[in-house]
This record gives sequence, structure tokens and C-alpha cells, in this order.
Amino acid sequence: MSKVLSPKEEFDAKPWAGKLRKYDILKEGTIALVVVALLVTSLAFIFGSPDEKSLTFKGWAISNSDNFYATTVQELAGTSGTATYGRPYNTNGDGLNVGPLFLQKWAGVTQRINAANDFVIEPLMNQVQSPEVKAALSQWSTATETQRTKWATTYDDAITKVEGKLSAVPNGDYGPVPALANGLTEMAKAGALDAALLSQGGFFQTDSTKQILFFGDGAYLDDAGTAANLQGGTWGMMNETGRYPGQAWLWLYSFWYQIPPFTNEDSHPIGANADVYIMVIMGLMSLGLIAMPLIPGIRSLPMRIPIHRGIWRSYYQSEGIKRRKR
Amino acid sequence: MSGWISNFMNHPATYLKAGWIQISVSNLIVILLMLSIFVLAILLPFPNKHSDEDAK
Repeated sequence: MSKVLSPKEEFDAKPWAGKLRKYDILKEGTIALVVVALLVTSLAFIFGSPDEKSLTFKGWAISNSDNFYATTVQELAGTSGTATYGRPYNTNGDGLNVGPLFLQKWAGVTQRINAANDFVIEPLMNQVQSPEVKAALSQWSTATETQRTKWATTYDDAITKVEGKLSAVPNGDYGPVPALANGLTEMAKAGALDAALLSQGGFFQTDSTKQILFFGDGAYLDDAGTAANLQGGTWGMMNETGRYPGQAWLWLYSFWYQIPPFTNEDSHPIGANADVYIMVIMGLMSLGLIAMPLIPGIRSLPMRIPIHRGIWRSYYQSEGIKRRKR
Repeated sequence: MSGWISNFMNHPATYLKAGWIQISVSNLIVILLMLSIFVLAILLPFPNKHSDEDAK
């Protein structure tokens, strides 16, 4: 039994009776490819690419020695951003959440990082050190976990209390922590820490996760981002270093970071979890874009804003097709 | 790459700011170029070497 078609289905099933136009999609695609390739090659030849000076631990330790030292103490105390980040690096934090959904926890720990060992102790142990640093390393490695934490957090608190001004830190029972932090700062100043962190993991090293996380714990990377207008709160997602144009198409993603409550990192639950809330909003908006043909009102926008009639105006004129009255 | 164009491009950018809206001059130029190309694509007539009837 054949299905009875509705008038619309019957109309849609009819063969096209209007005009035909020759169209070679392969030819058009080839021309577009060649034109774009020529444009990209010429522009790359003329303008080059961003050539920003590399950020290094040597640069950090020399330009802001106190901050590097204080960050090293935070790594030892387990109070740095990396040490408290949670998954995928450790289990010391819950990570970002949307309501009861803790997305970072779903992934689990896939790249375990022990901030104290990976950023401070191992690099120091892999180099020839002064007797003072050697003794500090020995004292650290033979102490209990509780004792280590007590030394490092007491020193970290003392540095925080004097707002990072190391010369103002009062004497106290900090164990080997000052010697370790001093040893790493000297190692960084000499350029040895860059090599030591880069060499972790293999002959050909392409994984810079540890370096970037350590940089992120201090002020060096943050200050460089601010100076280059790359901070999220100043549309940084759209920007590039120097005078090069950036990712202008990320304007909508970047937009959310400019308005409350996303601008306030301390506001719960949204501001503190801005990254994941914005990801959800953009996901929903992308779904809306995909579902556009199904959304009443939105799907009839071409009838209200008939740009297609402008593009195919000669066809509409020759066929005498008027705009449908709504 | 060296040369004056590269030196010019690697200098700190100029930013236009109005309240919480901020945009680099480079991004603004690219956006205006994209919009211009879009408008031109609509306004410029199709090359019309063959009449529509040729295909029939």
C-alpha cells in the first residue's frame, strides 16, 4: 500500500522544473585552494611570524629572584597552584565543577606530578651541588612527610606574611627548605634548571607540561601574559603577541570572560568555575546553531533577512519571484 | 625573519578600549577586511559568461 503524501511532501517530491545552471564544484574548489595557498604563502613571506623572546627559568630567576624563590618554597610546601590543582596531575583538589558534576575527576590522574619532587628535589639531585645543598637534600630525603610539610609550610607562611620580601622573613625552624630554595634559585640563574626540567622523560623531549606548570605557579608567566595583553579578562584569547592579528573568531568565547559573574574568580559557584561554565554555555550555543533549522522563529530568519535574494538577485528578477508576504 | 616589517610586527600592539571592550588595531583591521569581503561577495555580480539557458 503506497503512502498518501501530504501536499508539501508531494511538492517536495516533484522534479525541478526551473532553470539549470552549469556549475563545476571541482574547478571552483581548485581555484579557491590555489588562491588561498598563494595568499597564505605571500603573507607569511611578507609578515613572518611572531618572534617573542623565550621565557626561561634563567630569565625568571634573574629578573624576579624573590618570586622564583618564594614559588620554590610553595612547591615544597604543597601550596602552589600545581600542587593543589587536582586531576589530571594529582588528587589534591576537586577541580572545576558544574553543580554536582566534577569534570576533572572523570578523567582521573593521567599525568602524575609531585610538585616538590618533580620541580625542586629531582632537578637538584641531578646536578652537582654545593655541600650546603647536598646536606639539605639529605636532611629532606631522610625526614618524614609530616616534618617536611611542617618545615615548608612554616616558611611559606612566613614569606606570605611579609608579602614575599625575603629579607624581612624572621628566623624560624624551616629545616633544609631555605637551602633547597636557594640552591634551586642559583641553579635557575645559571640556566641549569631549564636543561634539567627539559631532560625529564626522554632523549627527544616535546612535553613541556612541567615547565609550563612551574611557570604558572609564579608571577613570571602571568606578568608576561599581562604585558602582551593575553590575559583572559582583557580579551586575551583573541590576541597575539606583537602587532600580529589573533584569533578574532574566538570573540564570543572570549566575551563571557569580560562580564560578571565570570570576571570574579572568588564568586561561587559560577565565577570560580568560569572556564567550565563558559564551556557549557558555548556547547549549548553550538548545539543551538546545529539545531537552527528546527527552532521556530530562528529557522524563518532568511525570510525576514533575505540575504540570499541579494546573492541570487538576477535569478529572482528574471523569474519575477516576489518576496513572500508574512 | 628580519627586516623592518618583522620589526614593526613584533612591537607591542596598539589597543582600542571603550569600557570593557578592547580590541587590537590588527584584529580590527582583519575583522573589517572580512566584513568588506562579505559585503563585496554579496554586491558584486556573478561573472556571467554563459546564459542560464546554456545548461538546458
